[in-house]
Amino acid sequence: MSELPTGATKTLKASALKAGASVVGIADASAFDAHAPKGHRPDDLLPGARTVVVVGGAQPRAGDWVATSPWLLSTMGTTERIQGVGRRLAQAIESEFGYYALFVPPGTASGDAPFLSLMLAAELAGLGSRSLAGPILNREHGFMYWSAVITTAPLQVDPPEAVPACPAPSCREMWEREGTTPCLRVCPLDAGGCLSGRLEGARAVRTGYDAARCNTRVHTHWVGGFQKVLEETLNEPDRDKRKMLVYGDFMTRTLWAITYSSTNIAQCFECMRVCPAAHGLREMR
Amino acid sequence: MAGTITAAVTSIGLAAGARVVGVAAAEAFRAGVPEGFRPEDILPGAKSVVVAGGDGPTAGAWRCPDHRVMEITGYDLRENVAVHAMCDYIEREQGHYAVQAPSLPVHGHEPPMSMMHAAELAGLGSRSLAAHIILNPEYGLLYYAALITTLPLDPTPPLAEPACPHPGCTAMYKRIGTTPCLRVCPACLAGTVKEKRIETSTYDREKCHSRAQTYGIGSFQKALLEIVNEDDPARRREQIHSEFFTKSIQSLGFFRDSIAQCFECMRVCPVGRKHRKLK
Repeated sequence: MSELPTGATKTLKASALKAGASVVGIADASAFDAHAPKGHRPDDLLPGARTVVVVGGAQPRAGDWVATSPWLLSTMGTTERIQGVGRRLAQAIESEFGYYALFVPPGTASGDAPFLSLMLAAELAGLGSRSLAGPILNREHGFMYWSAVITTAPLQVDPPEAVPACPAPSCREMWEREGTTPCLRVCPLDAGGCLSGRLEGARAVRTGYDAARCNTRVHTHWVGGFQKVLEETLNEPDRDKRKMLVYGDFMTRTLWAITYSSTNIAQCFECMRVCPAAHGLREMR
Repeated sequence: MAGTITAAVTSIGLAAGARVVGVAAAEAFRAGVPEGFRPEDILPGAKSVVVAGGDGPTAGAWRCPDHRVMEITGYDLRENVAVHAMCDYIEREQGHYAVQAPSLPVHGHEPPMSMMHAAELAGLGSRSLAAHIILNPEYGLLYYAALITTLPLDPTPPLAEPACPHPGCTAMYKRIGTTPCLRVCPACLAGTVKEKRIETSTYDREKCHSRAQTYGIGSFQKALLEIVNEDDPARRREQIHSEFFTKSIQSLGFFRDSIAQCFECMRVCPVGRKHRKLK
């Protein structure tokens, strides 16, 4: 029997939106069992977990997508805002409803493996679906950043999205016409890119994704970049060249990226830039 | 009048996300703080210090069986936001100077002003046997930030009864000569309890620091020195791309998600446990 106050789910969702989330959804904790490996399910992180609250938002603004300088998106980011909403929701669930709440750390447990897949959480909470390019796309807002809270509170769950945002109607037309889509064309796996796939009717089928290559592009200036240039510097016997490496643009930008980690999450957005479903539905003047 | 303004400042801090807010008179720092580290050494004419305590891990985080989650669990650090909201109010509405008290170390482990001492003087908590961490009697472990202002405010008195030792710990000490924190970490902590008070308390700060911040600035420096001193390029490559070095760099970037990696003395502490026992 639920001991939650009447309207608790509605109240929680309203606070999430007020705190800055663009969307909020709730997944059944047990729904992860069919998809997530053991050790990465809600109950593994919070014994007795019943639901997972997922918030989405902090996505680039319409202006960011149309900006002509590629430096804009590669040096500015907004993800930290959505993590703040997640943290606040976790505290609200505990202090207002008296149930355990665990803010899912956005970092990795080990290597590239997250504690809990935020993408899967967003899908199961009905907030979006996987795109041919990879990111989860919300039908209303497109590409977003996600944060999740695992809780023992028996909140009312939302069904997964019935109709995926990807492929967008214009991508289906393009596929009929040219046998490709904007994201596949901008970053083709067989020509030095990261993606391959096809459309089967209204369904996107991904056939290839070079995660390692994508990672080095998305995180050009990041922890990996720092490690790479550090190794090069230490291996360089010439003092002048070593100085150039240390003070070079690459090392400098990498250090900026690490310092401003919440605003330098990604440096490549090209598959999302060309995606008609990634930017939401609103046309700006 | 000062009482009304104190109440207004406090409510602004609480509304901005602080769990608790207290006030200490600037002159109260003179007795226990060396010259150069007192509020008036940072803001000339300082009259009051307002301290905000913010939440640490949620009860759900304490309950997580995967210890790595607490290592990078992430905090709001809303106490800092609350301090800035109160500073804005004091300067804009009351016309007095207000600055956030500097709390990051500038020499070794030494900050320009101790937030722990400020929290004690503002009546928000008392030092514990567990690495001297300040415990709030209601909530236990909190994180503290403070502001210094020239605005005279009504101080809240220091706690009459210390939060540590908890009655349960006093009883345990009487029975078996130890407390939960001393028992869980005899490597870092030592102390005695007499007549329901801490009689002696010491801790090995260097050992505790290297455990509480396994990944942080210190681990980065340690690993970097080893890397620079390594002559074999293949071995150097292994070190540079190792999980330890990678996590150390990540912890620099995502500092607020990597504040501490060892919580064991606090995990067993009964102070504030009622807020960690939920449904």
